[in-house]
Amino acid sequence: MRGNVYVVTSGKGGVGKTTTTANLGVALARLGKQVALVDADIGLRNLDLVLGLEKRIVYDVVDLAEGRCQPRQALIKDKRLPGLFLMPAAQTKDKESVTEAQMAQVVHTLGADFDAVLIDCPAGIEHGFRNAVAGADEAIVVTMPEVSAIRDADRIIGMLGTRRVRIVVNRVRPEMVKSGDMLSVDDVAEILGREILGVVPDDEEVIDTTNRGQPVALDGTRRLASIYTTMARRLLGEDIPALELQEDGLWNRIRRMVGQR
Amino acid sequence: MLDFLTKIFRREESSKSLAKERLRLVLMSDRVALAPDTFNLMKGEMLSVLQRYLDIDEHGMDVHFENAERRFTLYANIPITNIKSSEEIQQERQRIAVGGNGVHSSHGTPRRRRRRRRRTAPETNGGTTPQSSEPYAQASNGTAPEPADPDEPSTTL
Amino acid sequence: MSNDVREQAAEQLALQAPPQDAPVPETDMAVARPAPEAKPKQRPHARERKAVSGRAIVVTSGKGGVGKTTVTANLGAALADAGKRVVVVDADVGLRNLDVVMGLENRVRMHSLDVIEENCTLDEALVRDRVRKSLMLLPAAQNRDKDEIEPEDMQDLINELQEKFDIVLIDCPAGIEQGFRNAVVGAQEAIIVTTPEVSAVRDADRVAGLLPNDMPARLIINRLRPNLVRKGTMMSVDDVLEILRLDLVGVIPDDKEVIVATNRGNTVVDISGSPTGAALRRIASRLLGEQVPIPDMTEQQAWFSRVLSGLRFTRSSAAKG
Repeated sequence: MRGNVYVVTSGKGGVGKTTTTANLGVALARLGKQVALVDADIGLRNLDLVLGLEKRIVYDVVDLAEGRCQPRQALIKDKRLPGLFLMPAAQTKDKESVTEAQMAQVVHTLGADFDAVLIDCPAGIEHGFRNAVAGADEAIVVTMPEVSAIRDADRIIGMLGTRRVRIVVNRVRPEMVKSGDMLSVDDVAEILGREILGVVPDDEEVIDTTNRGQPVALDGTRRLASIYTTMARRLLGEDIPALELQEDGLWNRIRRMVGQR
Repeated sequence: MLDFLTKIFRREESSKSLAKERLRLVLMSDRVALAPDTFNLMKGEMLSVLQRYLDIDEHGMDVHFENAERRFTLYANIPITNIKSSEEIQQERQRIAVGGNGVHSSHGTPRRRRRRRRRTAPETNGGTTPQSSEPYAQASNGTAPEPADPDEPSTTL
Repeated sequence: MSNDVREQAAEQLALQAPPQDAPVPETDMAVARPAPEAKPKQRPHARERKAVSGRAIVVTSGKGGVGKTTVTANLGAALADAGKRVVVVDADVGLRNLDVVMGLENRVRMHSLDVIEENCTLDEALVRDRVRKSLMLLPAAQNRDKDEIEPEDMQDLINELQEKFDIVLIDCPAGIEQGFRNAVVGAQEAIIVTTPEVSAVRDADRVAGLLPNDMPARLIINRLRPNLVRKGTMMSVDDVLEILRLDLVGVIPDDKEVIVATNRGNTVVDISGSPTGAALRRIASRLLGEQVPIPDMTEQQAWFSRVLSGLRFTRSSAAKG
């Protein structure tokens, strides 16, 4: 096996799994890696839309699992970056149409050819979740500093077995953290008890970039892009301690708020 | 070149207009995939209309939707084995005008040719016969019974 | 006020009593407590049910995180304020959140699976709201799986609730799997919640296509951000309706106060002056048949900010003078 298979999950819907998968994938590809993104949300697929690849879908994960095509046929090569590929979910079938064993097989095959495989997990803890987790070596749990989200993240961590779990704290609003209306990153780390992969501030630009199908990490000049790049580098094993993050004034503000508590 | 210009144009569009357009196209694709029965019904009806004028190789035909750059398109590749003569076309049109709508069943199987049966005597007990005495009055989806044989006891439909 | 407190205290004590001391279940037949393996169905079956008076409405979306739970809790509160007996049902087995959003998490003892498995009666599992006497919650189990509930079980449960309540609101889990199917099966009406973002609208369309053809479905557009709509970044109400073609039952503006309220377990409808709370109340009225017009929030906002800036200017010039 060449690369690790990561499942990007959360429990709670709407915290940013798909956005994180897309942008982390883009960031890894921009670092020169070969990355396969797998949409495991059969029936409610959206990774294709976020990446702007929705019109190029011919085969999907279910076609591959049922032997109707070869792996390379189900992979859409992104024309913007040399190393970025998408394996779309099927939109018609329900999630029970693929077994955990089949999903594990699919992602293991991909793992042999890619530096990293990211699986976009559906919300919830049902069959779709179990399928998405089946072949994963490690987990990236995306959450928000909000009660329901953290509760669900905690629950999901309990269902990930012995896999390494890293947290992405998404959609942080520093002004609300400052006024005490939102949990801080430290609060989240303490409650969930796992290492933090990255902190992403809430940003209107995400709506815009999703509208256009151009993940924000594509544009190296945007501040969010550098945040995702840092996450990608950490994922690849670089030791970038949080304390030394200087890429963003926002991050320093968060740190100061945490220090004030 | 056109592709490049289109991309420039897109950057100038407000992103929500772009979003709306992409969504519209993607939903057509999603909805079609969600309702394969409806799609088969549509294919069947299309086929019926075409078969009034043409003989078609049903096994070789390919009808599908494709989601391209800015358009959602229905592609139909239909091999034709014969073009009907004007008399045949005329007969088909007459049959349809009289009673049936010539629509295929949802499985797309060809309608069985109705055998012509001339009535030798008017209906004797009248209770269960169709209202129209036209020979092709029951010409719809091939499930109608044969006209009553006056020597046989008639059964309720 | 003291009567309420005593009532609450009595309730708390009753709820804290361990299951084996619970009173005999109200069934038509006197039966011994069944052995753990055998689960004979003594609860009234769908076939045998009496005519129900209450409305059962499922609140669904497809996409997670668009606000189903918040909408369910707040509509429940608003409908209770309108004089209805309301129960909100958490159908998100394993990932329950309705209890937390309503601030009732410390009062949850039994849950819907307990009722289905006859470990307790329905009345024993219902949790009364802290503020509104006519609003109850039926919690979901947290350490169980959604596929442990059969659709027929949910149907029976909802029917039973319809006999006791005017309105049953079912908080549907995200997705379109067994949890979704269970949540929908007992309902006669649906409310689909979406936000004006592409993924949410796409999933809402999907869900609309999966609901039974004869189930009326109405749309709530949540988290509208009028400033982004004016900027051209966010789809407008009309844009969304053009795509989804559903009956619109309400539009709710985005508001960071919702996060604050959830943190505290308060309902947004209780925050005076909150446009979100006001919108939710209007939706409740519409659900009860009132003709309440949907205000154009994009226009309102623009006017309001102009007025505000005018005021600021006046204050600063007064300060200088």
